[in-house]
Amino acid sequence: MDGRSHFHAELELLTDKLLRMAGLARKALEDSLRAFSGCDAALAREVIDRDAEINRMECELDETSLRLLALEQPVALDLRRVVGGMRMTIDLERVGDEALHIAERAIFLAQLPPAPMSARLDELAFRVSEMLDKAISAFHAGDMDLANEVCRMEAGISDLNVLVLKDALRMVEQSSCTSQALERSMHEVIAGRSLERIGDKAGNIAETTIFMVKGVSIKHRCRPF
Amino acid sequence: MAHKIKMAARTLDFYYGSFKALHDITLEIRENQVTALIGPSGCGKSTFLRCLNRMNDLIPGTRVDGELTLDGLNIHAPEVDVVDLRRRVGMVFQKPNPFPKTVFENVAYGLRVNGVRDNAYIAQQVEKSLRDAALFDEVKDRMYDSALGLSGGQQQRLCIARALAVAPDVVLMDEPASALDPIATQKIEELIHELKKRFTIIIVTHSMQQAARVSDMTAFFYMGKLVETDNTETIFTRPSNKQTEDYITGRFG
Repeated sequence: MDGRSHFHAELELLTDKLLRMAGLARKALEDSLRAFSGCDAALAREVIDRDAEINRMECELDETSLRLLALEQPVALDLRRVVGGMRMTIDLERVGDEALHIAERAIFLAQLPPAPMSARLDELAFRVSEMLDKAISAFHAGDMDLANEVCRMEAGISDLNVLVLKDALRMVEQSSCTSQALERSMHEVIAGRSLERIGDKAGNIAETTIFMVKGVSIKHRCRPF
Repeated sequence: MAHKIKMAARTLDFYYGSFKALHDITLEIRENQVTALIGPSGCGKSTFLRCLNRMNDLIPGTRVDGELTLDGLNIHAPEVDVVDLRRRVGMVFQKPNPFPKTVFENVAYGLRVNGVRDNAYIAQQVEKSLRDAALFDEVKDRMYDSALGLSGGQQQRLCIARALAVAPDVVLMDEPASALDPIATQKIEELIHELKKRFTIIIVTHSMQQAARVSDMTAFFYMGKLVETDNTETIFTRPSNKQTEDYITGRFG
C-alpha cells in the first residue's frame, strides 16, 4: 500500500511535465536546424515565438518543485526526483535558448543567397540531436546504459565544434572569400557554439538521470561509474 | 574517522513469552553521536531501546538471547548492578512524567537515591543539570514550586535534567517530543544537538523529519528485524535497502 499516493501522483505529474518540456526543447532544436539549413526565416520566427512556452514551463516546474520540497519534505528517491527535476528544468530551458540563438542566425542566413550548410556543421547538428534524443530517452526510461552512452558522446561534440571553427578560419584566410561567405561562416560558427552548448546540456541531463536513479553524482567528470 | 563504540548488540533476540519480538539484531551505537531508531509501530524499535538499560526486565516472561554491551562489558553479566546500569543509561519517556514534587526535588531525586547527602553538591548538580537541559533560566525563580505547574515542554526538559543529574553515559529517548508542540519540539531537538557533545543518545521517533534533523546514524527496524543502518544522510538520500526506501518515502504502511 502506498501511504503517500497523492504525493507520488504529483511526482508522476512532475515527470510528465518534464517530458513535455523536453519535447518542446527537442522540437525547438529540430526546427531551428531545419530553419538554419533551409534558410527558412518563417520557421525560425516560430521557434523564437515558441520559446516563451518553454520559459513558462520552467517557471511552472520550479514552482511545483519548490512546493513539493516545502510541503511534502521528500526523501531518498523522491527527493532525488524533485532535485533532479529542478536541475533538468534549467538545462532544458537553456536548450530552448540555444535553439533560439540558432533560429536567430537562420533569419540572418535567409537574407543571403542560398547555400548548403557545411558538412561539418551538419554532422555536429546530427550528433547533438542524437545526443539530446538519447538523453531524454534515458531519463524517460531510467536507462543507465543509455545515460552513460550520452556522457561518452560529449567529448566528440567539443572536438567536432573545434573542426567547425577551424574550417571557418581556413575559409576566411582564402583570398577568394567574399563578404557574404564570411558572414555565412560567422553564423555557422555561432550556430556551432550553440550546438556544443546543447551537447553539454544533454550531458547534464544524462548525469541528472544517473543521480536520480542511483543517487550518485558524476557531475564535472561525466564518465560511466 | 573511527568512532568509539559505546554500546553494541550482537545477534540479539528478545522474547515476550513465546513471541519473538527482536530477531538477530546486531547494531553498534557510536559514542557522542545520536542514533535514531525508526520503523512502523510494532517493529521492535522501542523494545530494542528498552533492552539497552534492561527496562524490559521489569516485564514478566521476557527473555533475551545474544549479547548487549556497554563499553565492551556485557550488561547481562551476573555482576552487573541493574540500578547502576540504569544510572549510566538514563531514559526519557514519551510523556513527560515529573514526580509530584518541586522542580528542585525532581532533579535532586536521582542523586538522593544514589546516596548523595551533600546538600551543597546536590544544589550545584541540580543547577548544572537544569542548565544542561536548557531549562534553568525558565525555572530559576520557581525551583520550589511544583513541577506539575510547568508547561509540557518544560516538564519534558525537566525529565531530561533529571536523567542528566546522575551523570549518565547514554541517554535513551523514547519519542521525547511526540506529546509536545512545535516550539517545545524544536527546543528538545536543539538540546539533543548540544547534549551529544557529552552524552551518547539513542532516540526512538515516529517522525522521519525529526530523525533526519537530530541524528547522525539511523537504524530502520521492520517486523523485529534491523533492516538497515547507516549515516542518517545516506539513509535519507540514497538508502541501500528497498524496504528502507519504501518506508521513508511512504510507499508502504
